Amino acid sequence: MGSSDERVVAVIMVGGPTKGTRFRPLSLNVPKPLFPLAGQPMVHHPISACRRIPNLAQIYLIGFYEEREFALYVSSISNELRVPVRYLREEKPRGSAGGLYSFRDYILEDNPSHIFLLNCDVCCSFPLAEMLDAHKIYGGMGTVLVIKVSAESAHQFGELVADPITKELLHYTEKPETFVSELINCGVYVFTPAIFAAIQDVFMQRRGKAELRRVTSFEALQSATKSIPADYVRLDQDILSPLAGKKELYTYETLDFWEQIKTPGMSLKCSALYLHQFRYTSTHLLASGNDTKRASITGDVYIHPSAKVHPTAKIGPNVSISANARIGAGARLISCIILDDVEILENAVVIHAIVGWKSSIGKWSRVQGGGDYNAKLGVTILGESVAVEDEVVVINSIVLPNKTLNGSVQEEIIL
Amino acid sequence: MKALILVGGFGTRLRPLTLSVPKPLVDFANKPMILHQIEALKDVGVTEVVLAINYQPEVMLNFLKDFEAKLGIKITCSQETEPLGTAGPLALARDKLIDGSGEAFFVLNSDVINEYPFAELIKFHKSHGGEATIMVTKVDEPSKYGVVVMEEETGKVDRFVEKPKIFVGNKINAGIYLLNPSVLDRIELRPTSIEKEVFPQIAADQKLFAMVLPGFWMDVGQPRDYITGLRLYLSSLRKRTPSKLAGGSHIVGNVLVHESAVIGEGCLIGPDVAIGPGCVVESGVRLSRCTVMRGARVKKHSCISSSIIGWHSTVGQWARIENMTILGEDVHVCDEIYSNGGVVLPHKEIKSSILKPEIVM
Repeated sequence: MGSSDERVVAVIMVGGPTKGTRFRPLSLNVPKPLFPLAGQPMVHHPISACRRIPNLAQIYLIGFYEEREFALYVSSISNELRVPVRYLREEKPRGSAGGLYSFRDYILEDNPSHIFLLNCDVCCSFPLAEMLDAHKIYGGMGTVLVIKVSAESAHQFGELVADPITKELLHYTEKPETFVSELINCGVYVFTPAIFAAIQDVFMQRRGKAELRRVTSFEALQSATKSIPADYVRLDQDILSPLAGKKELYTYETLDFWEQIKTPGMSLKCSALYLHQFRYTSTHLLASGNDTKRASITGDVYIHPSAKVHPTAKIGPNVSISANARIGAGARLISCIILDDVEILENAVVIHAIVGWKSSIGKWSRVQGGGDYNAKLGVTILGESVAVEDEVVVINSIVLPNKTLNGSVQEEIIL
Repeated sequence: MKALILVGGFGTRLRPLTLSVPKPLVDFANKPMILHQIEALKDVGVTEVVLAINYQPEVMLNFLKDFEAKLGIKITCSQETEPLGTAGPLALARDKLIDGSGEAFFVLNSDVINEYPFAELIKFHKSHGGEATIMVTKVDEPSKYGVVVMEEETGKVDRFVEKPKIFVGNKINAGIYLLNPSVLDRIELRPTSIEKEVFPQIAADQKLFAMVLPGFWMDVGQPRDYITGLRLYLSSLRKRTPSKLAGGSHIVGNVLVHESAVIGEGCLIGPDVAIGPGCVVESGVRLSRCTVMRGARVKKHSCISSSIIGWHSTVGQWARIENMTILGEDVHVCDEIYSNGGVVLPHKEIKSSILKPEIVM
């Protein structure tokens, strides 16, 4: 399967610090791509999926973060996977296709036959090998991973129309106001190197052509001229849309789960999805509840080997406990992410929450969210080093780092 | 002479401003808060200032490098590895504060803005011959604070009462002390409270004296008090050096405008406004009771009152910003937007109005 000539390079777009403020307050302490879902950094999930691609030569992470934020992770993951992983920093915003184009020399270095492009904040089963097989059969320039969603929610995404037999991408439109299709763009693509020529064509067309486009007043004031810079090329609007229906682009539909991880609430939901997936792909990562000397486990639970959980605590379902956390006697954890060095004291209850690094949860205290992953205050988030004192109740609230709660709070953001 | 400034913690009450810089470096009346204190100390003959810090030391140390040279005063840091309370840091910095000369040293809390009457404090301290002098300020609601009970004529302190339930006095600790080196012998290197453990001891020995702080006093550690504090500061500036305040037909009341700021035509600025370095205020703008920090741009026809506009932010045309709106660093409010008490974290764009006080993350 795949000759030695067919090398594949994967590119994962990881974004940057001033983009994605929706991931606050967690992003105040850690770059979003490194926030753990089901015990592994967010970017680890697409990277692991890339391992299943035959003849994978190299993985590039492209983003706006400082190199040093990714240096440690990249070197340890390269070691672990035995595949070179490298972080490339974008100097200025060039759009998703423009960014890819600016690093074409690195990407084409290994002379790849195919290039995967993935967005880091996508949560799905990443059926990359199957997608590559389908792409080869279609014979086009690119294949887009798509999924069917409800008609009501489709407008939040890029909607596409595909030929039901040939699977060709016939039409693409980004966040339309009226209904176009229930098939949406998952943010995972595979291309042949011809993609770079297609992006270059967009630059050529831009020169000398006045472009009429709706801009927000802020955008209009930002740019020196009234048009977008020539080297700002968006994959969706500038490549997929114009090339749809020209027998260049195809679709591959996934029937598994798919979510975008834009907010802390969604990271809790996606952590649960990945934990559930571990049942099929990596059961050794899940905690088992069979040992009577250890805590009672129900449902999918991840516990880091260095974490200490008292035998009388009850954990799960959908709980992820990170390194060096300590869970005290009689504690109850349901649907939560407990980050590194957290201390949860006796008989505390944590439900639908994310407890930040080094925080402490007092005895008999209750930290709870309603569980609506999409609501602004649906999941309680405690930032780094937050102390919840004994018997305090925290409901549907967000607490920024370094605060101490000595009285109960509900539906509040605490700066 | 030496001084210790207790810089301390995270400044969470001044968020979102303190998400960008540590609290002592947040600008107040167009210069970093701590600079007001350091300059006043220099004026009275202090040659070395020690900053007791436990948060973001790298940022503070960079600041020191810039200002040491400019000010001609030695500035060092004493870094707490665990929070040491209000007295512990003095023990930690002992070697820096004692130089064998027997001279008293200052200790200041960092959030406090006032007229820094250090010369009078030195004079009083020498005259009573006690071990320590603290400055106190009169407040309307003493039970919110720790009250200092003292003899009115001599200033000798009898005792401290924390949040008293009945009226025992109306003077509270203003966070400015002048201490003899012997006070350091009373402080162990562990988390200690100067008001609860050290001062009561000195008072019991009849060696603690208090002086009422002349002029205004404000703890500007939270936005509401920051805005009130600016009013008091500018009013005091009007009395002492009125030439520093702005004048002109477009100015009302006390207004401070940095020399590098630009103000357009047809504006009405004031009262109680500070406009920082490099700011651009376009034409037709109304500003009252607000601070516009370095590099911010206020666009035409907009109206801002009782708010703080963070560094490098922009306020759009015809926008109306009021009622304790705090914009963090690099926040951009679009044209025609209304903000009623919005508290906006750094690097945000506000595209829709904020009708009631809300935190925008």
